Amino acid sequence: MNAAEELKQALPASVVSTGMQVEKPLVLVKKEDLLEVAAKVKEMGFDHLSVVTGVDYVDRFEVIYNFFSYGKKENLVLKVVLDHEAPEVGSLTSLWKGADWLERETYDLVGVRFTGHPNLTRILLPEGWKGHPLRKDYDMSVEQFVTIGEDGEDIVSTDGSNLLRRK
Amino acid sequence: METEELLINMGPVHPSTHGVLRFKLRMDGEIIKECTVVMGYLHRGTEKLAEMKTYLQFIPYTDRLDYISAMPNNYAYVKAVEELAGIEVPLRAEYIRVLTVELNRIVNHLVFMGSLLLDLGASTAIMYGFREREKALQLYEMLCGARMTFSYFRIGGVRDDLPDDFMSKLNEFIKDMEKRIEDYKGLINGNEIFMMRMKGIGVISAEEAINYGMTGPSLRGSGVNYDIRKIEPYSIYPDLDFKACVRPECDSYARYMVRIDEMEESLHILRQIADTIPKSEVVATQKYGIAPLTGMPYTAQTYFPRIFIPPAGEAYSRIEAPKGELGFYVVSDGTTKPYRVKIRSPSFCNLTAIPKMVVGLKIPDLIAAFGTIDVVLGDVDR
Repeated sequence: MNAAEELKQALPASVVSTGMQVEKPLVLVKKEDLLEVAAKVKEMGFDHLSVVTGVDYVDRFEVIYNFFSYGKKENLVLKVVLDHEAPEVGSLTSLWKGADWLERETYDLVGVRFTGHPNLTRILLPEGWKGHPLRKDYDMSVEQFVTIGEDGEDIVSTDGSNLLRRK
Repeated sequence: METEELLINMGPVHPSTHGVLRFKLRMDGEIIKECTVVMGYLHRGTEKLAEMKTYLQFIPYTDRLDYISAMPNNYAYVKAVEELAGIEVPLRAEYIRVLTVELNRIVNHLVFMGSLLLDLGASTAIMYGFREREKALQLYEMLCGARMTFSYFRIGGVRDDLPDDFMSKLNEFIKDMEKRIEDYKGLINGNEIFMMRMKGIGVISAEEAINYGMTGPSLRGSGVNYDIRKIEPYSIYPDLDFKACVRPECDSYARYMVRIDEMEESLHILRQIADTIPKSEVVATQKYGIAPLTGMPYTAQTYFPRIFIPPAGEAYSRIEAPKGELGFYVVSDGTTKPYRVKIRSPSFCNLTAIPKMVVGLKIPDLIAAFGTIDVVLGDVDR
């Protein structure tokens, strides 16, 4: 029995389906129950959260968590499907501290909100940036200009008014 | 006496941040109370660019993530795509891949050693590190014409076979490096000032390091015996004799020592490859997919196809890069371009632990601890 089936047996109400993703057990989880499932996953020995990926499928968002267990040397993939209007899912920062920046990055670039995250701010792009670049409907024709202000914080504008030498 | 907390800004342009990274430090006298990391100054939108390039066109962009060690970046990406498409790589190509990656591990650790010592105020080591690195870069130049941004890997193999006199030059390099590593050990490892700056600084326990998602030498410096080459073997690593270097001390010195030990292990791997490399093709000869214009399947070619279409699906594949776990999550929708590429860069994830590590230290110790995490900002910001 692989880890995905084990998880399904333990929490049958929270698991939508199980499968494989190129030799790695994959579990599709109900988004409301993610935290509960993740706690169980950690209890099962998956102590390494490898990566958090957000994908925009135009009609929905998917957030994918890749886990690894140092003890059992096994992989596990969790996946949640979020609706496109208001993508929101629970944050895993209370279980894995490493999730902090990975979730911030997913929020920054894909625009998925992680509820319960202690500091959900942009990480790679400056605060004030418009839009989330990795969304498929992101408008790349709009130029955005970034400068560093007097207090060291970033200033973003779309007309270049913050630049010393205007366009 | 009245005291006041001080907010100190370090960076983004600061010599010891190895690029453009900014620390916001809340200080109590000389002691760091809180450290906030601000990044993104080198963000180039690599993941977005991937969605606009064909699978082959994206390979040069991976070079520019971790520009100190570009071969592992190439490798991690093509490995993910190969996993997605189920491509078998010829044996000789696997040997060449491991050869280049291990050579790159030595290059990376030489730069690490040099820049760490430079940060601590010892400027000789970087001259030594770069002197040896130059020889490795000349090997790379023979191989693919480039010194830093190689683009040498191809989906299903590597671009060219090894040049004729490559192996003799490689053997020279190995012989030279053996002596040099002994020199470094004599000069640096037991140096009293160096030990005072490194021992007991930037301590992070094994549980915390795992919880923060640290990988690679930085994790092995905390006593966790975790090397993807060993526990999730890929390519020809199961056939090679080497050991994962682990140190139990959890401090900066342990992280430094792991890397010095790793250089020796990499040399050992290179020696084995030089002895046993087989003769065969260097690109896969199986069919790659369907040609978009004719609808005919690609068959064995002397060269890889320009347009490559993997089946729809997704795969996460990771390798042990010099800095830690480097992974690519590739989503294909069955077209010529990837639907989504997510880069799990070791520098970014290892950096997560820095704010935790440096609380209670002084600023020069922050520089020492940060140096031993070994980040490249191109890899952090992507």
